[in-house]
Amino acid sequence: MSNTVVPVGPFHPLLEEAEFFKLHVDGETVTDIDTDIGYMHRGHEFISERKTFTQSIFLVERICGICSTSHPLAFVHAIEDIDNIDIPIRAAYIRTLIGELERVHSHLLWLGLAGHFIGYDTLWMWAWRYREPILEILETTTGNRNHYGMLRVGGVARDVPPEMIPVLLQPLDMIERKMDMIAKAAADDPVLRTRLKGVGVLSRQAAVDYCAVGPTARASGVAIDVRKDEPKDAYGLVDFKAIVLANGDVYDKLVVRVLEILESVKIIRQCLEKLKSAPGPILNDVKEVSAGEGIGRYEAPRGEVFHYVRTDGSNRPLRHKVRAPSYVNIPTCEASCKGIPLADALITLASIDPCYCCTERAIVLDRQGVRIAADLVGLSREKTERLRREIHG
Amino acid sequence: MAERDHFLDGLEGKIGRTNAKKGRLYFEVADKDLPDVVRHLFLTKGCRLTTATAMEMYRGLEVLYHFSHDASGGYYCPRVVITDLKDPRMRSISPIVKGAEWIEREMSELFGITFEGHPHPEKLLTRDHPNPPQRPLRLRRRT
Repeated sequence: MSNTVVPVGPFHPLLEEAEFFKLHVDGETVTDIDTDIGYMHRGHEFISERKTFTQSIFLVERICGICSTSHPLAFVHAIEDIDNIDIPIRAAYIRTLIGELERVHSHLLWLGLAGHFIGYDTLWMWAWRYREPILEILETTTGNRNHYGMLRVGGVARDVPPEMIPVLLQPLDMIERKMDMIAKAAADDPVLRTRLKGVGVLSRQAAVDYCAVGPTARASGVAIDVRKDEPKDAYGLVDFKAIVLANGDVYDKLVVRVLEILESVKIIRQCLEKLKSAPGPILNDVKEVSAGEGIGRYEAPRGEVFHYVRTDGSNRPLRHKVRAPSYVNIPTCEASCKGIPLADALITLASIDPCYCCTERAIVLDRQGVRIAADLVGLSREKTERLRREIHG
Repeated sequence: MAERDHFLDGLEGKIGRTNAKKGRLYFEVADKDLPDVVRHLFLTKGCRLTTATAMEMYRGLEVLYHFSHDASGGYYCPRVVITDLKDPRMRSISPIVKGAEWIEREMSELFGITFEGHPHPEKLLTRDHPNPPQRPLRLRRRT
């Protein structure tokens, strides 16, 4: 065991919430990683048991600012699972539409930050530029850029009027063109490929052992996607591919997300076309929920969100269990970070897609607390620059 | 679940009370049989552990593991009931399923359950907490 520890956290721009990674390094090589969580435990499960089912939708929406459709969708799926409640077809398309818009803006957010960490600031600015029209579509359809308040047990709260649809379709062409361009750039850019290929590899077996989900698992060749495995809402009615790659490195995680954006745009387009004429109400009136237990899940941008609800016939959950995808994806860093250079640690930790803002506070300390190296973002960007000089002269 | 009988072949005598519905199978197992059931689901059938749920009910503490069979979209959920509320303990499945380490540590912390054989039994949420709460999700049954 080395005697130098690189602390990342508990409050660090890499991390959406406060977590603490202690990277043990021997020279430039990461030899071990110790993860400490619990800084952001907010007691959602406890609070939910004191709220009505409808109130809990708004509560779970606030578990994550980015996945503010995924959690309530999984929650209402769990309630609907208890009594086998069906939803109207129009509501199914609206749910799928909002869920996929969320996936696009989440992946674009990650893409931008990944670019920033490896010194591709143009990619960062482009990705966030193209994220704006998606947020505007969400604002137009739901009234909010985040925390949409759209979901209800038995359907959705607000309709998407057919006369609004041509306006919503307009930005999709541009997003598709730009994503094609980024996908081609990722494939053609020798520096990007050299920088990310073979970095932070999570083997297929490790992904299975750690029970990883989402793009983290799919980049390692594990073909799991809730949208395909248990299609709810309109996922059984639209045409799309689950993107699965094989290498498990950061490059494949990037490519999975870029290609998923294109698939999501395809789904969004199909939903909007269907919503021009899909008949019916948007909400089935659910008067009560019987005693029982139900499982609900949804493929959030980072992977499967899971909610389990036990009820006793009252209007509140007796037990409500929530499992977000990062809970199973973060431990995979044990496998993907060991043996890699410190300059690759940042992008490897980021490749599981925690959300973060862009300030830099990590420093490398020895056991006596003496600063001995530059910040992690600086190390990562220096390595990219070195590769760029080697390749382009 | 229609495929239930075939899916659990080899576990005869180890499956207790079951509750089956569309795509879901909840079934009770004794603590001593849990490792065999988990080996069957995880290693033989290729299920993925999603998470586990602990809850305090009138008959004792229940620990419900959620295994997803992604190929069929179904869920298989073995349930262990612990009646000794003073010193609740059961076997850990973490030596079989590495992905269970965190959730068992969390249940241990929030419900006071000891998972015997857990490779890293330290606290997950309050490791450095100066005054950690004791079993905060226990004894909160609604009256």
